[in-house]
Amino acid sequence: MADIDITSQTMDGMGPHGTKVGLLRVLGPAHVWALGVGIVLVGEYMGWNFAVGKGGAYAALIACWFAGILYTCVAMIDSEVTSTVAAAGGQYTQAKHIVGPLMAFNVGLYLVFAYTMLEAANAITAGYLISVVAGMTGYAGELDQRPFIILVIMFLAWLNYRGVLATLTFNLVITAIAFIAILVLFLSTSGVLGGGIMQHAALFEGHEMPYGWIGVLAAMHFGLWYYLGIEGTTQAAEEVRSPARALPFGTLAGIMTLLIAATLTWYVCSGVLPWEFLGDGVNGSVAPLFDTARLSGSNGLIWLLGFGTLFATLASANGCINDASRAWFAMGRDKYLPGWFGAVHPRYRTPYRSIIFLVPIALIFALGAPLDQVITFSILSGLLEYTFMPLNIIMFRRKWPLNSIKRGYEHPFHPLPAVTLLALCALTFFAVFLGYGTQLVAMIGFYIVVSLWFHFWRYRFVNRGAQFTMPWPKPQGY
Amino acid sequence: MAHYEPPKQSKASQLFDVIVLVILTVGALFVPIWLKMAGAAKSVTQPVENPTWETLGQTPAQAAQYEALGYDPASAHDLILARFDYSFSAGALIAMIVVIVLYYVLMLKFSEVEYREVIAEKFGDRR
Amino acid sequence: METWQILEYAAWGASALLGLYMLIDWMKVDSSYSEDVLTSSREGELEAMTEEQHR
Repeated sequence: MADIDITSQTMDGMGPHGTKVGLLRVLGPAHVWALGVGIVLVGEYMGWNFAVGKGGAYAALIACWFAGILYTCVAMIDSEVTSTVAAAGGQYTQAKHIVGPLMAFNVGLYLVFAYTMLEAANAITAGYLISVVAGMTGYAGELDQRPFIILVIMFLAWLNYRGVLATLTFNLVITAIAFIAILVLFLSTSGVLGGGIMQHAALFEGHEMPYGWIGVLAAMHFGLWYYLGIEGTTQAAEEVRSPARALPFGTLAGIMTLLIAATLTWYVCSGVLPWEFLGDGVNGSVAPLFDTARLSGSNGLIWLLGFGTLFATLASANGCINDASRAWFAMGRDKYLPGWFGAVHPRYRTPYRSIIFLVPIALIFALGAPLDQVITFSILSGLLEYTFMPLNIIMFRRKWPLNSIKRGYEHPFHPLPAVTLLALCALTFFAVFLGYGTQLVAMIGFYIVVSLWFHFWRYRFVNRGAQFTMPWPKPQGY
Repeated sequence: MAHYEPPKQSKASQLFDVIVLVILTVGALFVPIWLKMAGAAKSVTQPVENPTWETLGQTPAQAAQYEALGYDPASAHDLILARFDYSFSAGALIAMIVVIVLYYVLMLKFSEVEYREVIAEKFGDRR
Repeated sequence: METWQILEYAAWGASALLGLYMLIDWMKVDSSYSEDVLTSSREGELEAMTEEQHR
């Protein structure tokens, strides 16, 4: 890139096709890691323990590892496609180039909903945490959580509005603290550094498999929560300096971090908290790592994990705002949604209109809907997205075989990961069906209605050939 | 293939489209809640009179943890005994499978039609 | 304890300020730049750039 250096100050964000103000390319692999892990790590601090409630402690561990396999497949597939299709919008842009416009529209909506709902869930949790702190410091009255919920969303939206580098650097710091907090908790309670308080055998006695094997299946539903959101790394594609290298690296490092964090979390929590308490995330253990710290009797640990929980929710909501607005922006840019959303702030270089628009949406759900519903809505959107991925990679390899275009990363053992992913998704659909079948059908009904709306009305505003922006040869078979 | 020129959308029409989407979204989440069909509630099917840790099926080690968390047998009763009901009918399962498969088939079919159009315009003979 | 009530009001206030900041900045930007410039971003610049160089 001799004459057009897009990383230079003057040319940054500009380019051919008439782009005058584009997104800013400033991020490195560490930011990608922070975006991916930052969104997900909150799943270790709250929510995963519903899996214990659905099947018992062992079931949650099995679900943790099977979901780990599912997400490893997701990360591998995603890394390959996104290192080749590097644009804001991530899976949406992939679907547009590989499967087709209607699929892309649906995938775009999955992304926006999965992230916006997760953002709402995070804000609710942060509000709850602050009310717990108020109680601990001796506040007698009932704390009004609403201003704090609103403040969390407003502050993070503002941060996102002001620029991506500050946003993700902030995420890097608080995510690292939250991750270290888990490591410290593990080291100081497991007996590695003296004085362990783990008593797995005694706590599991008589409650190994409270629901039998169907409980293990059912636990897969919330098993996803250990990792949900790691696929969001792709949304940063248009803002990293070298996407083909940084995205696979950040994503795969992210999934490894999460596998470690998830297993350690299960280990310390199930070794201290009885399963009935641990498994009830509403009346029992809302923040299991924090509860574990409380039983350790160490004030330092209580504060560390309290801050860890708060930081994890903030990092996650922050990443969600970033990702949801990128996906919304990308769809606006292609006129899949009103073109007005495809605007970039000339100074901060962020998709500012999308960021602002999604604030009230997040507020509606954070203030108006119960937590488990919001989480289920988020998980379902994620699940629909993961089911799309194997279809996506199989078509990608078929339309553009390995030697036809240059890929930044090629994932091994194709089609094994795709088939594994599809099978695990089917299993998870069944797990969601056990107990949340109504939402599943309502959700898919929603997507069918919007799809018809898109196909018969909205698609007329979209440029046909021009939306295919990758410089690839004609796909095979067309 | 002939070049397709999309119509320019007016501001009012853009706004209308956004409102439609928002209503559909909010509806999808809140309708199941309003109809009270949402959520798998756990329930206590076999309550225990005058519970003790033993009758709740807790060993001394488990009871000790509950006490450390600030529970006594009475306050932990509901928490410990509530269970999910995993029974389901084959009909409901089949209905769900049909809905999911139908959704993806519909999606892929419509996408394929639109995709062929895109490829034809992008790679077709350019005059 | 008074502190927490003050904090509640502070949170309301800060939220309003941040919201107001975004609204005002949004209006300013929209009125001082043309719509063509603001929505000029196109997908796939990197790719297009390599394409042009190899021509």
